[in-house]
Amino acid sequence: MQPGGRELEAMNINSLLNQEQSLQEMNNHQNGQPQMSSHFDPTSSHDDFLDQMMSSIPSSNSSFNWDVSSDAARADHALPSTLLSQFDDQSAQLISKLRQHQISSGAAKVLMLQQQLLLSRGLTGNGLRTPSGASGGESGLLQIPLNLTNGDHADVVDGSFQSTNPADDASVQGLFNGFTGTLGQTANQSQHFHHPQAQNFGASAVPGMNQPAASGSTGGGTPAQPRQRVRARRGQATDPHSIAERLRRERIAERMKALQELVPNANKTDKASMLDEIIDYVKFLQLQVKVLSMSRLGGATAVAPLVADMSSERRSSNGTQTASSSNNNETMTVTENQVAKLMEEDMGTAMQYLQGKGLCLMPISLATAISAATCHSRNPLAATNNLNTSNNPLISGEHGGPTSPSMSVLTVQSAAIGGNGAGEASVKDATSFSK
Amino acid sequence: MKARTGYSTSLKQEFLKKWIKGIRIYSNFKKDMNILERKKAIKLSADLAIASTRNASTRWSRTLTANISKNETNKIFVEQIFSDSEVIKKEAPSRLMARSNRIASKKIWRRSHITQIKARKMGPYAVKARSIAKKLVKNRTKVLKSLVPGGENMDGISLIKETLDYIVSLRVQVDVMRRLASAAENSTRLGLSSKCSVHWLQGIFTVLDHWCAMVH
Repeated sequence: MQPGGRELEAMNINSLLNQEQSLQEMNNHQNGQPQMSSHFDPTSSHDDFLDQMMSSIPSSNSSFNWDVSSDAARADHALPSTLLSQFDDQSAQLISKLRQHQISSGAAKVLMLQQQLLLSRGLTGNGLRTPSGASGGESGLLQIPLNLTNGDHADVVDGSFQSTNPADDASVQGLFNGFTGTLGQTANQSQHFHHPQAQNFGASAVPGMNQPAASGSTGGGTPAQPRQRVRARRGQATDPHSIAERLRRERIAERMKALQELVPNANKTDKASMLDEIIDYVKFLQLQVKVLSMSRLGGATAVAPLVADMSSERRSSNGTQTASSSNNNETMTVTENQVAKLMEEDMGTAMQYLQGKGLCLMPISLATAISAATCHSRNPLAATNNLNTSNNPLISGEHGGPTSPSMSVLTVQSAAIGGNGAGEASVKDATSFSK
Repeated sequence: MKARTGYSTSLKQEFLKKWIKGIRIYSNFKKDMNILERKKAIKLSADLAIASTRNASTRWSRTLTANISKNETNKIFVEQIFSDSEVIKKEAPSRLMARSNRIASKKIWRRSHITQIKARKMGPYAVKARSIAKKLVKNRTKVLKSLVPGGENMDGISLIKETLDYIVSLRVQVDVMRRLASAAENSTRLGLSSKCSVHWLQGIFTVLDHWCAMVH
């Protein structure tokens, strides 16, 4: 089993070394269909190489030791030469047949031949491998023809993981309908042949190969158009409904991943908490727009009407939104109204009121700077500020800052320390004012 | 990352131009505005500008424009701004409702069936935990739907897509507005523009000219 695999491996490596250029050119035209017919060039060198290999098998075996470090269970490579001598003829025949078919036929036939090849090796050394199921096998075998025919490995391997080749997936699964778990083991081994080629993939591909059950099932389990009966993954139904649901869930998951990059503090794996972060961020941004439209209007005096206007806007908009009328919004509105009222009379009392509530006023630029410093986000602009404050105000007093007044409102999300065991997060507004 | 920053820069410029255009039109409309009206003008033109950068290809932009046009006084304003090309589309609500009703009934049956199956397979605790989690997600989705304009009748997948686009646009909007605000502040400090409330518009335009000169 091992030697045959190594032969394939050798072929692949040499195809890499010899024809990287031409293969990459051919890869530029690569689409979903397998391009067996366009790869005449590699076959000729494969022939030559095979002859070389047949004559110098022990040397080739030794040359492959460098690439197997990733798998500790491959200690069984120690017995290559004896097994090789047994399988030479068979492998030569099969390999030549394989390459003939590579020229003329599609991926299905290649797979068939490869499976014959692997089966003929016998299943003696397979006990060492943990069976990873048919999914591992199919992803491994899927990689073989694709790797044999083109050198653009990153795309191919990722494609096999993420089923960007639905046709290939379908055909592979069709072929696997009759196979047993042992074949899965052999195929599992065969996928290790691609470790040398997988080196340039980095860590992401290799653990994916070692645990193909997870990725294979997600990749291969949802073909776009199953032409044949889809073989069931272990523990998952073949029901079209559940497949559709799985597809839907995957789409949602990939979109959420894209969102994770945008929203700061998005290292949450849970869907509900991710949604929470998204909601807070959207609210924050909308609030910023509202505030920024007020700032720098050039009117030095009339600040309070703006605040009153904002609070009235919020109240009216809250009246129409039944879903979002929560406790948080109400407390915020109440506080806002109070502050607005107080500010109309006297700034001092307004400040005292705020301080009593555990809030403060600050210019928005400073707030941004603080949130950038405390938040883990990459974007200093975008920070919903999660500050743990007790009842002390954030910053005491006002700031004698820029010359002209600018109104800005910052949403500070403060979670009370201690007191509430549940750790409720009440969103409070800190109205900022700078003289 | 390089491509993304390039794209967002062009987006910012487009938004800025449209915003300025909107403000100019508005100020020509109404000569003397008090502070509240000014704020409304700024916000309105900003929203319209950022929605129009999407060229009505996303649901939220269409809804935003439609909501703004609902107000009669704004409608004239909107039409003036987008006299050239803008198409304000809106899907027929009746068609949407019919489709969502059909889908909803199928979903309800499917869900009950699945819970029966799951209750038999998993223990009662797992089922309960799962339902609680689902309820949480559902509540939050509802809130998100209320936040994103036009998100009411959308399913989970397109909702997240719309949210993504909306967040990007909001960020662009905030960034440009903030730069303008800080630039205006700096220019006021340096005495480049007038502080007087009457000339606030000229002040903004001076700043904008400086900035456009810098950008290009």
